[in-house]
Amino acid sequence: MTGLLDTRLPEVVVPAVIRGELVSHDLVAFGGRGGSAHFRTPDPNRIVDRLALRDPGRLRDVQQLKFDEIIAYLEELGRHLLLDTNPHLQEALDHSTQWSDMTTPLVRSSFEQLPALFTPDAVHELADATIGIPYLEGWVPRPMADGRTASIRAMGARTVHVIAGNSPLIAALSIIRNAVARSDAVIKTPSNDPLTALAIARTMADVAPGHPITRHLSVAYWKGGDTEVEAKLYQPRYVEKIIAWGGFASVTHVLRYVQPGLELISLDPKRSATIIGPQAFESAHTVADVARRLATDIGALNQLGCVNARVVYVASGTDDAGLDRLGALGEAVYQQLQRLPESVSTKAKWFDPELRASLDALRASPEFYRVIGGRDGEGAIIVSQLDEPVEFQRSLSGRVANLVPVDDPVDAVPSVNSSTQTIGIYPESLKDSLRDVLGLHGAQRLVSLGYAADPNVALPQDAIEPMRRMVKWIVDERCIPDENQRSTP
Amino acid sequence: MTAVRTVDADVRAFASTPAEFFGHSWYAMHHVPVDELRHLQLSALRMRFAELRDAIPVLTTMADESAISAIESLDDVVPLLFQHSVYKSYPISLLVKNKFTALTRWLDRLTTADLRNVDVSGCDSIDSWLEILDTETDLRVMHTSGTSGIMSFLPRSTSEWDQMYAALRCGLFQFSDPLGAGGRHDNEYFNLIWPLYRHGRSAIMRMPEMGLTHLLGSEDRLHALRPGRMSSDAMFLAGRLRAAQARGELDQLEINPALRARRADFEREQREMADSMPRFLDHVVEDLRGERVWLLATWNVLYSIAKAGLDKGLTNVFSTESLVTTGGGAKGAVIPDDWQDTVKTFMGVEQIQRSYVMSEITAMNKMCEHGRYHFEPWIIPFVLDPGDGRVLPREGEQTGRAAVFDLMPESYWGGFITGDEVTASFEECRCGRTTAHLAPTIERFSEKQGGDDKITCLASEEAHRAALDFLSERLT
Repeated sequence: MTGLLDTRLPEVVVPAVIRGELVSHDLVAFGGRGGSAHFRTPDPNRIVDRLALRDPGRLRDVQQLKFDEIIAYLEELGRHLLLDTNPHLQEALDHSTQWSDMTTPLVRSSFEQLPALFTPDAVHELADATIGIPYLEGWVPRPMADGRTASIRAMGARTVHVIAGNSPLIAALSIIRNAVARSDAVIKTPSNDPLTALAIARTMADVAPGHPITRHLSVAYWKGGDTEVEAKLYQPRYVEKIIAWGGFASVTHVLRYVQPGLELISLDPKRSATIIGPQAFESAHTVADVARRLATDIGALNQLGCVNARVVYVASGTDDAGLDRLGALGEAVYQQLQRLPESVSTKAKWFDPELRASLDALRASPEFYRVIGGRDGEGAIIVSQLDEPVEFQRSLSGRVANLVPVDDPVDAVPSVNSSTQTIGIYPESLKDSLRDVLGLHGAQRLVSLGYAADPNVALPQDAIEPMRRMVKWIVDERCIPDENQRSTP
Repeated sequence: MTAVRTVDADVRAFASTPAEFFGHSWYAMHHVPVDELRHLQLSALRMRFAELRDAIPVLTTMADESAISAIESLDDVVPLLFQHSVYKSYPISLLVKNKFTALTRWLDRLTTADLRNVDVSGCDSIDSWLEILDTETDLRVMHTSGTSGIMSFLPRSTSEWDQMYAALRCGLFQFSDPLGAGGRHDNEYFNLIWPLYRHGRSAIMRMPEMGLTHLLGSEDRLHALRPGRMSSDAMFLAGRLRAAQARGELDQLEINPALRARRADFEREQREMADSMPRFLDHVVEDLRGERVWLLATWNVLYSIAKAGLDKGLTNVFSTESLVTTGGGAKGAVIPDDWQDTVKTFMGVEQIQRSYVMSEITAMNKMCEHGRYHFEPWIIPFVLDPGDGRVLPREGEQTGRAAVFDLMPESYWGGFITGDEVTASFEECRCGRTTAHLAPTIERFSEKQGGDDKITCLASEEAHRAALDFLSERLT
């Protein structure tokens, strides 16, 4: 309830954490327009100098940690990230009502998933699958064909993470990645989630004050694109890598600072697609199964993620019988959407009025579109009657998906491009036959229908391996003339 | 000579032929006592609903679904207002794949005109499709600019165009005859400076064709940049290319083969148009110096014309009775502080007429001396809650989504919901006009979503718009 008042008076204070130290003075107000967060936070101009890690040698303390110590640290941290007992997370949940695009039940269930990311098994898998623990732990020798012996180590770097706020898990993932990479991170929070990263950083300061991992994480808010702040911080002498999530604006802001010595790791804005083969219509059972899986891909995270299903190509056939099949599937998906548990999906917090208008306009063209639901902001299924998506396909949100009939699943391939992140596919055999061609067209993740919104963070992301790029790959080459096959100059 | 007019006849005259009803006086249009205006509007609305409810299929479906059979108050029509996107609710492939028969079927549902027997099966372009509709029906369909990659088509009939321009003529004397003392201003015409093609079928480019007799009196007063016709296909293609480029999907863009073949012509025409602009302006200045002219354009076109003139040392070029009209917003650009003074100095006028216009309605809603846009009396404005679409009270000042019912059309449904956020007042304006009026700041909802610094991993239409802005910044 207080949240409503706070949108008028910025009484909410979002402190910064600088290397384990809580900073909450020199407050300035941010936001409050266009339904965005309204809060006070330390004047970024006054803290930016302290955010920069001027001396790279100060990374030595994390560098000297054993991997087991990192595992133990994160395990202990995870134990303290229980919503029931952690006051910082509770505060973040309370305030999320005013700035998250998610509804409270979804933020709650996201928070409840946090500890699982920090378990030894999860951290071990992340480190091992993305980089290889030996490379993180020390120098890994490799004899080369020319006789020299190279030793390779993945070392930490000074980084800034410009994170997205559509899921609280992004903040947690960034903190885990930083710890595993033994790096120094400044997390620049977004206005749609200024508190999750902060809550974790504060918990770190509570649980392990003075620990090197605690002291190599800072969390602060400034308005993305604030050139005064960014020009000071984004310099090769302070920052080696910027990991920028999401929006066109946030990436273009950062681009101007990229230069030799300052690398941009861009996790570009993406969209996802879905391809369903004719096998979906084999029986009433398969239709029901596909409907439930598809509803999950559409509705999970309230369709706020790039991984969610939006345009769904269905090999129902494009003749009248095919359109009937597709319509029946659309009805079933709509019903399943309404039945998703509130920990997975709820009615959208904010249903885009432009999208509502577009849906209503389509109702005027029954020859070309069937619109199922959507009058009450509860989500909708648009069933195209021609083999093409709606013109406003990029605005599909709030649990609205567009089923598009095709005669052959291959007909969906041309719509795939480098901004297509996930493609949910049914059945498995179709995935096997399409994966090469989809990959060539730009698709980055092919997944069984129903699991689009359940990614594993130890796997490559957006067709890159961000962890491998977040560290610095240092080589020590041992070249002894006699042992070398080629003569040295 | 005149029979005693019944009230019904009054209502019809008010809605269908407002210029005549108001004695061709823009002053009279805006000084009807409030209660009387409300009564006229409600009566006309009921008339339109009664006549069109079962004559326009899309409306019939909506009315059936919402079980509305009568209109008792102005607000009763709100559930039946069309979304502005209704006029572009066709699949784009109908244009790309020359499915003009299907497109005509789609359009047929939006008009009282019977298009079932119009044979468009041979059409291979928007131009050829609209040409057949022009010649074989009473409709003169207009389209929007298509800059977002898709065009709206609105079926307006010849008589509606005619009445629209008859009414528009009344407003041309806003400054020269503020009290409407001059009546019809018979034989008083403007020379239209028209920095476009002579012919075209977009909302604005229909003007020389449909409005000439009312606005200019004769062809001699039309001074067009280029003879010939602006191709609707060229506009569609340009919009599609631009949108696809911004989305990074240029390679996937499906282009009608007939269009592809004409692409070189389009590009040549565009070049020629740009090249001939300086010469055109020289001619206009030479031929029309001291004459009464009308120049109608967006602020940036006005500004660049005026700048070019001032750079040559030209000031106060035309008669002080001339008119400069502008409409439309800044579209994200920064407007120089001195733009109005620059235009006034070059043209030699004391004021610039500003108007709130949209393709879909028949009114040019002009700004009064107190900076408020007044709706013409045959337009019933509504302000809707931006979230749930409910109508806000018709009193005081209200901010929300603008919706209107345009009472003039009798062959298509005049009710529609815009994409604009407005602040409207239903109280009398300080200028004394009795019509509802808007604050000067008008924003498009589509351009204001997203809030501040919200970051998500999702490539949204918003990101696409940002890319469009980025591109156009780089290209200009």
